[in-house]
Amino acid sequence: MKPWKTMLAGALSVSMLAACGGNDDAEGGADGETDPDEVSGEITVWGWNVAASSMEIAIEGFQEEYPDVEVTVEDIGREDLYDRLTVGLAAGGSGLPDVTMVETDRLDNYIAEFPDGFVNLSEYGFDDHEDKFAESKIETMKNNDGDFVAAPWDIGPAGVFYNIPLFEEAGVDPDDIETWDDFIAAGETILDETGAQMVPIDISADDALFRMMMNLQGTYYFDEDGNIDLHNEEGQQALATIKEMREKDLVANADGWDGTVTATVNNQVATVPFGVWYAGTIMDQAPEQEGEWGVFKLPAFEEGGNRDANLGGSDLTVINGSDNEQAAYAFVEYFTTDSDAQVNALSEYGIFPSLLEAYDDPFFEEEDEYFNNEPIWSLFADISEGVLPANYTSDYARALRYSSDAQANALLQDADPAEALREAADMIANETQRDINE
Amino acid sequence: MTNNKNKTTTILKKTGLYTLLGIGVFLSMFPFYWMFIGATNPSGAIFSMPPNLVPGDHFFENLRNLNENVGIWRVIMNSLIITLTFTVVSVMICSAAGFAFAKYQFKGRDPIFFMLLLAIMIPYHVTLIPLFELMANVGWLNTYQAVILPHLAYPFAIFLMRQNMRSIPDSLLEAARVDGAGEMRIFFTVVLPTMRPALAAVAIFLFMFQWNNFLWPLVVLGDSSMYTLPVALSSLVGMSRIDYGQIMLGTTLSTLPIMVFFLLLQRQFISGILGGSVKE
Repeated sequence: MKPWKTMLAGALSVSMLAACGGNDDAEGGADGETDPDEVSGEITVWGWNVAASSMEIAIEGFQEEYPDVEVTVEDIGREDLYDRLTVGLAAGGSGLPDVTMVETDRLDNYIAEFPDGFVNLSEYGFDDHEDKFAESKIETMKNNDGDFVAAPWDIGPAGVFYNIPLFEEAGVDPDDIETWDDFIAAGETILDETGAQMVPIDISADDALFRMMMNLQGTYYFDEDGNIDLHNEEGQQALATIKEMREKDLVANADGWDGTVTATVNNQVATVPFGVWYAGTIMDQAPEQEGEWGVFKLPAFEEGGNRDANLGGSDLTVINGSDNEQAAYAFVEYFTTDSDAQVNALSEYGIFPSLLEAYDDPFFEEEDEYFNNEPIWSLFADISEGVLPANYTSDYARALRYSSDAQANALLQDADPAEALREAADMIANETQRDINE
Repeated sequence: MTNNKNKTTTILKKTGLYTLLGIGVFLSMFPFYWMFIGATNPSGAIFSMPPNLVPGDHFFENLRNLNENVGIWRVIMNSLIITLTFTVVSVMICSAAGFAFAKYQFKGRDPIFFMLLLAIMIPYHVTLIPLFELMANVGWLNTYQAVILPHLAYPFAIFLMRQNMRSIPDSLLEAARVDGAGEMRIFFTVVLPTMRPALAAVAIFLFMFQWNNFLWPLVVLGDSSMYTLPVALSSLVGMSRIDYGQIMLGTTLSTLPIMVFFLLLQRQFISGILGGSVKE
C-alpha cells in the first residue's frame, strides 16, 4: 500500500472516531465512597525511570487495601512517554494506560489540547485531600472549573548545591550568602582563589535559574490571569542579576544536560542552583564525591526576602476511557496520599513528595551521608512549604523557548535585559494571542 | 642527487598522505572507542575531566543491569526479526515497483511516479497519528507487522531502483521474451542478477532505516517485551537519573549488526561503484 493511501485511510478513520467520540464520562463512584473490596481489575501505569520504580514498590501496600486490583507499571523514557501520550490522545485514546504521570508544567498544555482526555478526579472525591498538599502545588492540578484533573505527586523545592572543598579553599562560608549580591561576591572570591566558576547555565537552551528567580519573587512567565508577565520589574531584575554574573565570569556556559553534569562533577563550578531532584543526579554520577556536597537555600533579592522556590514536579492523571477507571483512581489516590508510599519514593529514589504529612516522617530528620551529614531533606521540606504559586498555563513550552532566547540575547549578545524580555513577551503574544501586561 | 631529491619528495608526500588518512581514521573511530569506554565503565566515568580513555571493568555489571532493565536479548531479537523481514520483503517490493516504473508502459505511469516523488516529501510525523489510528482499529498495536508493513513500499528505494533499472537495455528484455521467458522469470533471472550492486545499496539503506527506526516503533509497540533496540535504549533516559554505562553498552551492541550487515554486502556495493571501469 502506498503511504499516501494509508494516510488517507488513517485520516478518514480519525474523523470518524472524532465524530463518535466524547464518550464515557466518569461512571459511578460519584459519591467517592466505595468499599475497597469491591474495586477490582487490572490497571497499567506509565512512568519514567526512578518514578516508575517508586510506584512499583508501592504496589504491595496498595494491594493490602485493594486486594483485587492488579497493577502493572511500565517504565518509559520521559520524552517517549509524552510522544506516546500525545499520539494516543490524538488518536482518541488507543494504546494508552489507565494512569500516567505528567510533569506539572506540561499539565495545562495537555488539558488545553485534550480537555476530555483525563478523568475529573473531583467526581471521585479527590477534593477531600485538598488541604493535604503544599498550597502552591494544588492550584496547578485543577482545570478552569476548579476540578482536579491530576493528583499532586512530587515537587522540586529548589536549593543551591555547593561544592564544599571549593568553598573551604576560598574561605567562603555558605551561611553568609543571603542575597544574590552576597552570592555574586562569594562567586568572585571563589573564582579568584580556586579558578572555579560559580554556576553552570545552558545559556541558549534553558532558563532554569531565571525561572527560580522569578518564582522567588512570586512571579512567572504568566500572571494568575494568564497574561504575559515575564518582562515585569521582577523578571528584569532576575535577568540583570544573571547577566551581572556572566559579566563577572561566574557563569559556565554548559552544553545541555550532559554539560551541566560534567561541570558539576569536575569541580568546574562551585554551586548548582537546581531542584531537589538534582541530589540524585550528583549521587549517581559522582559517587566518589561523597561528603563534598552541601545545600543551602536560594539567595533572596533583598535582605530577609523570600528564599523558597520550586523547579519541576509531576502528577498522576487517570486517562479517560480507562476500562477500570475506579481501580485507576484508587491507585492514584492511594499513591499520592499515603505517607509511607511517598516517603519510600523519597528514601529509595529521591523523589520529593508534595504530601505535607510525609514531612513528619522521621526520615526527614535523618542526616544524609552523601551530603556531608546535613539533614537536607528537612531543609527541602521547609522550602517546599514556602513556595509561591506559579501559573504555568498551556503556553509554558513556548514561553520557555522565548525566555531562553532572551537570556541568550542578554548574556551572549550583550542585549539590555529589559529590552530582551520585552522582545520575548512580544513574540509570545504574537504566537499565543495572550495579552501583555504593560 | 636528483634521484635522492625525488625520493625525499615521495617520502614526504606519503607521510603527508598517511598522516591525513590517520587523522581521518582516528576521527571516525574515536566515537566508537569512546562508546566502548563508556560501556565498560560505571555511569559517571564518562563525565570526568580530563576524559578517561582506559576501558574499565564494569562491562558485565552494565550488561547485567541493562538486561535487568530492558531484557536486552529479547530486544535484540525483536529488532532482528523486524529489520530482516522488512529488508527482504521491502527490497523485493521496491525493486519490482522500480522495474515496472522503468520498463513498462502503462496508463498513468508518469502521474503515479510523480505522486510517489511527492510522497518522499511527506514528513514522517504527518502520517504518525492516522497510521496509529489505523493500526489500533485493525488491532495490530504491539505486533511486528505494525512496524514492518507501513513502510514496505519505501518511495525513495523505489525511486533508486527505478533509476538503476533504466540502464538495463530493452533489447536484453526483448531477447528474453523472444526466448519465451515469462515476466516473472525475466525479473528474477535477468533483471535482478544485473542489479546486484543496486540491490545491495538499497538493502543497506533499508536495513539502516528500519534498524534505527524510532518514533513509529515507539508509538505502536507499547509492551516492553516488543520493544526494538532504539526504543528500549530511549526508555533508559528518564529525567535527572540516567545510567550512562547501560546506555553506552546498549548503543555499542546496537551498532554491531549494522557493521556486520554492511561488511556482508560491502563487496557487492563496491563492485557496483567500480562496475565496468576495470576489465579483469
